[in-house]
Amino acid sequence: MSDQVLYTCGVLILLAPLVGAVLSGALGPVLLRSRAHWPVVAGVAVAFITSVVLCAQVAGAPEGATSALIPVYDWIAHGAQDAKGATAYFKVEYLIDPLTAIMLMTVTGVSLLVVIYSRDYMREHGKAVHGYERFFAFLGLFVFSMCALVLGGNFLLLYLGWEAVGLCSYLLIGFHYGRPAAAAAAKKAFLVNRIGDFGFALGILLIYLTFGSLEYGAVFEMVSQGLTGSGDPLSGDRITAIALLLFCGACGKSAQLPLHVWLPDAMEGPSPVSALIHAATMVTAGIYMIARCGAIFAASPTAMMVVAVVGAATALFGASIALVQTDMKRILAYSTISQLGYMVLAIGVYAADSAIFHLFTHAFFKALLFLGAGSVMHAMGGIIDVRHFGGLRKVLPWTFATFVIGSLALSGFPMLSGFFSKDEIIHHALAAHPVLGVIGLLTALLTAFYTFRMVFLAFHGPYRVPEGVHPHESGIWMRAPLLVLSVGALAAGYLGAEGTGALHRFLEPVFADTFVRNNPIHIVEHAGFWAHYGLMIVSGALAIVGILAAYLLYVREPWIPGLLKASAPRAYRTLWNKYYVDELYDGAIVKPAQRGGRFCVGLDDYGVDGLIWVVTAIPRAVAYLLRTAQSGLLQGYALSMVAGIAIILLLVLWA
Amino acid sequence: MESWILTIVIFTPLVGGVLLMLPPYGNNASVRRSALFYSLLTLGISLLALFKFYEGAPANSYDDPAYLLTHRAPWNTGELIDIDGLAVPSIDIAYHVGVDGISIWLVVLATLLMPLAILSGFRSIRTRVREYYCLLLFLETGLLGVFCAMDLLFFYVCFEFTLIPLYFLIGIWGGSERRRAANKFFIFTLAGSVLTFAGVLYLAYYSYTTLGYLTLNIEKLIELGQGGFLPYNLQWWLFLAFAAGFAIKVPLFPVHTWLPLAHTEAPTAGSVILAGVLLKLGTYGFCRLSIPMFPDASRELAPTIAVLAIIGIIYAALAAWVQKDIKKLVAYSSVSHLGFCMLGLFSLKVAGVSGGVLYMVNHGLSTGALFLIVGFIYERYHTRKFAELGGLARPMPWLAFFLIFFTLSSIGLPGLNGFVGEFLVLLATATSATTDDGIAAGPLGYAYAIPAALGIILSAVYMLRMCQRLLFGSLVEPAGTPDTSTGLSKDLTRREIGILTPIALCCLAIGVYPKPLLDTFEVATRQHVLRHPAPRTRTDAGTLEQQRSASLRRSVASTAPAGDLNKLSTPTNRASVGLIGASALISAREDRTPNASAESIRVKQPASRGGDRRPGDDT
Repeated sequence: MSDQVLYTCGVLILLAPLVGAVLSGALGPVLLRSRAHWPVVAGVAVAFITSVVLCAQVAGAPEGATSALIPVYDWIAHGAQDAKGATAYFKVEYLIDPLTAIMLMTVTGVSLLVVIYSRDYMREHGKAVHGYERFFAFLGLFVFSMCALVLGGNFLLLYLGWEAVGLCSYLLIGFHYGRPAAAAAAKKAFLVNRIGDFGFALGILLIYLTFGSLEYGAVFEMVSQGLTGSGDPLSGDRITAIALLLFCGACGKSAQLPLHVWLPDAMEGPSPVSALIHAATMVTAGIYMIARCGAIFAASPTAMMVVAVVGAATALFGASIALVQTDMKRILAYSTISQLGYMVLAIGVYAADSAIFHLFTHAFFKALLFLGAGSVMHAMGGIIDVRHFGGLRKVLPWTFATFVIGSLALSGFPMLSGFFSKDEIIHHALAAHPVLGVIGLLTALLTAFYTFRMVFLAFHGPYRVPEGVHPHESGIWMRAPLLVLSVGALAAGYLGAEGTGALHRFLEPVFADTFVRNNPIHIVEHAGFWAHYGLMIVSGALAIVGILAAYLLYVREPWIPGLLKASAPRAYRTLWNKYYVDELYDGAIVKPAQRGGRFCVGLDDYGVDGLIWVVTAIPRAVAYLLRTAQSGLLQGYALSMVAGIAIILLLVLWA
Repeated sequence: MESWILTIVIFTPLVGGVLLMLPPYGNNASVRRSALFYSLLTLGISLLALFKFYEGAPANSYDDPAYLLTHRAPWNTGELIDIDGLAVPSIDIAYHVGVDGISIWLVVLATLLMPLAILSGFRSIRTRVREYYCLLLFLETGLLGVFCAMDLLFFYVCFEFTLIPLYFLIGIWGGSERRRAANKFFIFTLAGSVLTFAGVLYLAYYSYTTLGYLTLNIEKLIELGQGGFLPYNLQWWLFLAFAAGFAIKVPLFPVHTWLPLAHTEAPTAGSVILAGVLLKLGTYGFCRLSIPMFPDASRELAPTIAVLAIIGIIYAALAAWVQKDIKKLVAYSSVSHLGFCMLGLFSLKVAGVSGGVLYMVNHGLSTGALFLIVGFIYERYHTRKFAELGGLARPMPWLAFFLIFFTLSSIGLPGLNGFVGEFLVLLATATSATTDDGIAAGPLGYAYAIPAALGIILSAVYMLRMCQRLLFGSLVEPAGTPDTSTGLSKDLTRREIGILTPIALCCLAIGVYPKPLLDTFEVATRQHVLRHPAPRTRTDAGTLEQQRSASLRRSVASTAPAGDLNKLSTPTNRASVGLIGASALISAREDRTPNASAESIRVKQPASRGGDRRPGDDT
């Protein structure tokens, strides 16, 4: 693992997608036109291959030397001076370690498949849609941003990537900017993320205030020693405050309660974008950040408790809403929220490696599901609501087969990828607190149910499609990524599954000092047979029960859901309206703030200006009074002269 | 050449403007071309000055604070008087210009924006073309004069002079309410700067009572303030007097109400220069004059100013959110941004001041560009109402690209310029109470950063609202538009793209690699803005007195007889000399600034500070 090689890898991973994006954007309208995907496909492919090389480098590194900090250049002078009295800078620098490597592989790998898939998806009847080159340029920029986020070696670069993925999601969600809903969704995504960023930025400021540095290594070192930058002992409240502020950012980006509201609306973007946002980039950033800042979080039990509770609550919350939605992509969106909840929960119970494992497997099956849904949408001419079609398994055999694989993996069907990672998380949650574990199990049951509800509604039952739609299976550019992802969804779990545990061992140097040390159980070594396999059996059984229940309700006895809906209308409506969170925010925050804005304008126009009018009225009033004296009548002047002389005389004589 | 270069930069536009007024009068097209030529010439010379500045900068260390490229022509009024055997003019007023790391970049900013502003009016200004460009060029001279001034009187003259061209620019070429806007602008800013002038006069008078001769040399006045020779009470009042003029110019809440109106009514070039450069005169005044000259009062009043700045950030952002007029929205965003700038300056930290100055540059670029874009829209649609426009991204992709780009720059997206300034300001505010940078602990703290950081959310709220309403959704255009009768195309023309592209490139460059700017800002900040580490407040005046007399004795002991005072300014004992400030020779920099080295500051020690003891008496 020589620094030179790592430096080159980092540069390639960052620049290849960026250059691709710039080329697509610049040359797309004039030269490439419907070939505008090539620069981005090539760029992301280079990034992926380099990531694999990088991962091999890290894996091949000797023990204890798996982490390297590679400086690139001086970025921002922050006024302080270093030990030698020279100006200190926030640098542009990479941190390369197993966590970075695994994230880069996931990000670039899934992104590559998504980019390939988009080549056909962004065409109608073989013709590139309006804004084709723009789409690919933004995809390239998105990959660049996410890689920058993951590669950055200090909090400021993390923030850079953090904001940049927010921007790219804004641009891509609003890709169909002519549709007001898309424009609104894009803005919402950016703003909700900014609310999280507000906390995140304050967290970074507090880190700098406390430690005098923003470089990961230096900060984490001080945290583990319990010291501040000036050598004083670090107070528990301070580290809790830092952790919670950072977590605020993670809530925004990884769509945790209460900042989850942007993610379902983000479905307004084209399906490949959804796949990218939900699987590889964007939402995983929050998970990555908490895992990266493990030292900070693990140092504060309070913060860890908050993280675990928020994660568990989000998992259940998302799954419950997904039960009743009818838009396939929206169901998947709530499912993402729920699965992200699992990951956050895992970190909260000191199982960050399990969280990353779940992130890894989830990337495969969630990308697969979104691309599958995109395939359905493509075939249905843009309609994705399961109330409008059904029985598609015959006409879309490839899509159906891969979609089922993805659904099984998401449901946690035994021996598929989602099963291993989710089971691990539930195991840790149970060990930490029974309630958390039970919520995890319950969510697993719901997950299996709503996933297969969607599958049965869309692909089973009598064949019906909307008027004027002639569904057809997609071309090879779209099918190939689906197949590759299916393989991943089937097999990715074995990378981390018990027995091999390769992923965990790979990640261990990153988490050993922070999470693993504090974890009450360490799964690979200590779990007894029944303690562990018992749970595996239970969670596998729950998944099968959920699937069977969905089969019963939506295939065998389709009248039952209607009855349920009628018997509990209020609960149904609450779920349908997503617990009214949007309405609550609108009424409690947006409207009052807008009123505040109008008040400010009014104050400007009448209050401040009125006051100034009053002040300027004083000279005017004086002038008005004096003006009456200037009447031009000689008698008046004479009179006042006499009166003046009289007064003066009086004064003189008196004194 | 070296010493004349700033003078040439300052007066090229003036000469150009005068030449425009002289016969032979060309037609409108040739007037436009010549105006553009003069402004480009100024830009070229200012870039040369920047280059010269960098050549001189390495020798310029913290220990030897110097202004570079100085040029001095004394008035030589008053008779020469004898102070300690040196002949000094009794009235030390001069045409005196020079730059440091802060002002050189502001000069470049002003000279960069002016040709672009001139270019932006090529189609829209059709009446009284000659006067229009003359006024713009005169305005540029005024602005450059302020940034380069080393003499307080020259500073003030230029500061006031800028009002006149802008008054006419708004009043003649403005929108429907131009008269009211021009009057309001003029009266507001004049009212404030009259107080500033009172402060200037008193300061000059006070320098006479302290030093024995009257000086308006900014360097010497700073030494006076930094040396602790301005009593706290006096500092307090002078700070307020100076702030009256500067705060209105910034504009600081609650005296900002002239700005939205003036911006909205001004022609595009006027708005660009107003937002891009003119507002910076206020913040520049604070950081060049108020903070270094009145350090104790600044420290004491900083929390008040910071609170006003934070109120301004939030208040203006909320107001911007509900605007119905695009230009007014951008104008209110200016108020909000300048709040950040003030907050950074009054964190009294190196990072804050250099961040604040960078914020000035950034705001000039991004808000200037936004005003340009609003102008381009107005030229086509003759309206600036959100309600009458929408979905412009489809017919105008270039416009959409630039609008989103500058929006992102304005809301501080990392990788673009806005972020660097904003982050440094917040960082300095949060860490104001620490001493990591070798400067005394500042008066602010983390609690100030929390409400200020709300600006991160709010700026995105109103700017994205603007983008959404203007660019996205279905196409909405007023009937009969876009108006292409003046030769404009539907999307931006090449000229317009050519105006915006350089600004965009600057934004990107500063965002990715701000080092060249920040390095010079930092040096200048340490040299000229926040110089002395010892905190001075009313409470520790006693200890201060002891420090002073101690350092006085120290420096005096190390000094040769009076005739040899020049030796004092070797770097090693520079610090102690700085502490006693006016008690010894300050400005001897024979090697670099031969013109300025003739006189030196001497102190007629006030009785309260040790009777008639003078440097040299003890030896």
